[in-house]
Amino acid sequence: MSISMSLFSPSTHLPTLSPSSSYPKPHFTLKPCLSLRPKTPLFTTRASAENGAGAAAAATAVEAEPKVPEPVAAKSESSNGSAGPAEEEVKVVSLFEDARWVNGTWDLKQFEKSGKTDWDAVIDAEARRRKWLQDNPESSSNDNPILFDTSIVPWWAWVKRYHLPEAELLNGRAAMVGFFSAYLVDSLTGVGLVDQMGNFVCKTLLFVAVAGVLLIRKNEDVEKLKKLLDETTFYDKQWQATWQDETPGNPK
Amino acid sequence: MASIALKSFVGLRQSTLENPSFTSQSKPISSFPSSPRTFRVLAAKTSPKVAGRNLRVAVIGGGPAGGAAAETLAKGGVETFLIERKMDNCKPCGGAIPLCMVGEFDLPLDIIDRRVTKMKMISPSNVAVDIGQTLKPHEYIGMVRREVLDNYLRNRASENGASVINGLFLKMDSPSQGDGTSPYVLHYTEYDGKAGGVGVKKTLEVDAVIGADGANSRVAKSIDAGDYEYAIAFQERIKIPDDKMVYYENLAEMYVGDDVSPDFYGWVFPKCDHVAVGTGTVTHKGDIKKFQLATRNRAKDKILGGKILRVEAHPIPEHPRPRRLAGRVALVGDAAGYVTKCSGEGIYFAAKSGRMCAEAIVEGSENGKRMINEGDLRNYLEKWDKTYWPTYKVLDILQKVFYRSNPAREAFVEMCADEYVQKMTFDSYLYKRVVPGNPWEDLKLAVNTIGSLVRANALKQEMEKISA
Repeated sequence: MSISMSLFSPSTHLPTLSPSSSYPKPHFTLKPCLSLRPKTPLFTTRASAENGAGAAAAATAVEAEPKVPEPVAAKSESSNGSAGPAEEEVKVVSLFEDARWVNGTWDLKQFEKSGKTDWDAVIDAEARRRKWLQDNPESSSNDNPILFDTSIVPWWAWVKRYHLPEAELLNGRAAMVGFFSAYLVDSLTGVGLVDQMGNFVCKTLLFVAVAGVLLIRKNEDVEKLKKLLDETTFYDKQWQATWQDETPGNPK
Repeated sequence: MASIALKSFVGLRQSTLENPSFTSQSKPISSFPSSPRTFRVLAAKTSPKVAGRNLRVAVIGGGPAGGAAAETLAKGGVETFLIERKMDNCKPCGGAIPLCMVGEFDLPLDIIDRRVTKMKMISPSNVAVDIGQTLKPHEYIGMVRREVLDNYLRNRASENGASVINGLFLKMDSPSQGDGTSPYVLHYTEYDGKAGGVGVKKTLEVDAVIGADGANSRVAKSIDAGDYEYAIAFQERIKIPDDKMVYYENLAEMYVGDDVSPDFYGWVFPKCDHVAVGTGTVTHKGDIKKFQLATRNRAKDKILGGKILRVEAHPIPEHPRPRRLAGRVALVGDAAGYVTKCSGEGIYFAAKSGRMCAEAIVEGSENGKRMINEGDLRNYLEKWDKTYWPTYKVLDILQKVFYRSNPAREAFVEMCADEYVQKMTFDSYLYKRVVPGNPWEDLKLAVNTIGSLVRANALKQEMEKISA
């Protein structure tokens, strides 16, 4: 973090540095948008006046400055103005490498196990790759496009891996819920199990039970679903705010 | 919960249903003792004529919203004043306009710097998807420079009779009497165009005000419109070597991923002769520079050797202000908060809202002959919400579903590879109308998307296990 911050600081200085480094003027044919304003201070004041975050961002930059390590500071001078090199020279991180990762996809031949592709291993490998990418975001490149698509892993491989371990539990739960609701309905209304099957309300109940068991697997899921609902209606409320005055006791 | 959601829809449209009843109302109901926040709806037909002059309206802010509003007002016979503090202001802005805007606002083609016909979406694991193969030959996304577009719209307003004032709006005095006809007094500093000149403080009396002065609107403040949540957008204009520029000739790139932005996307947009590289976020504003660095890193080879021309940052509203009008003052554009989620688009909506608001004023005042009131401005708001609410909501849902996490973004990119999705997206973007899709395709799309989401999340689980 501190490195990336300090790395970044050169670029924030750029507008300040550039006027002094005498840019070739005729370069800029389309003036207004390109003019390297001598008005850098104007930018900063405007940003801070206009929004708090601008000020915050400026503050972080300032804060990061003292921490600039020697070599990087030196580099920032040499690469004055260019965005790319500053990072490139420091980051020696290599690309993701794996013997089975060939030309932007997993070489499925290498995943073969007794004549069949071992999809579990493919999933493992891809998870590892994504994990790695999460920690070391890689530059995109048009020369080596990524071709791997998770949809080439057949659906049953996913089901086998993720659903089956839980299936036992879910089936058990569904059966119990079903049995008790059938019992309850029977005891309250006197409609027997067989009759319930022909009844629309009971069929709906059955559907609700199954959906419920699927959606709510753990206790936290209830909270999650609640939050989700709040989130989906939040924007509606923000939009509606203007019309709110109207609703209570407005003479119409 | 569901009932609330349902009710909210009713709320938005409620006044539409009731509309006929209050336009036909014969006498004003001004005698109601109402709290300041409840509004009265007066019938326009009964409002007094303005004697000896036309209705005077001030438009604060000369961006797309202000320019479009002033033009429509001036054409409609209203005496219009457009106040803009900096005529050559080039606002930090992506600058993308949909195709329909060119037609609707009759824009000359030479203000469009570039025609983007290809988009590349790049997922966190660098899967790149080309969008735009479905575009027809004449279809494109226009990239403009704001200083050019704004200037053009202002000039057109001026040609139609609006007086354009170079001045800084300071504050506004609300009418002293509540009779609905006394003027608003605007205080502003006028600059006579001489560089370095100190402005002259002036006042201006007008009958109505349109606030088009952007995210930090002073008009909004003066009518106590409330605040909105905003995203901060950070952008660097980078001049890249010509051979690299060829690639960005007519192509824009979007990067998604936790590294570039936790809740938005990073972009590389082609500009007149350089590219704009930027990113935005709502939730982690303090880390914006880190995200910018990550965006540059993701595009590294393609912008290698570039020179930074300028660095800019700007707030982007996330949702409309709690109050978008009060009395004879209405907000439009960014000042009102009309920026879509997900794509962060605002120019078209700003210009459109400016025009719609002006149309409501022209109509309510019968071409500048009568006084207007809050009811007339409400018509604009009503029409606006009815027309564009679905668009905003859909984009909000998209953002919530697909910008949520890295697995969701992977699924998003996978989804965008589908031609049907591309066609639908571009149609709705370029023409700003929601075309009903093919139900069978929709169903297929839903199944595929859920499949993508499930797979990506399954992988995510696996990734967590590795770290454990």
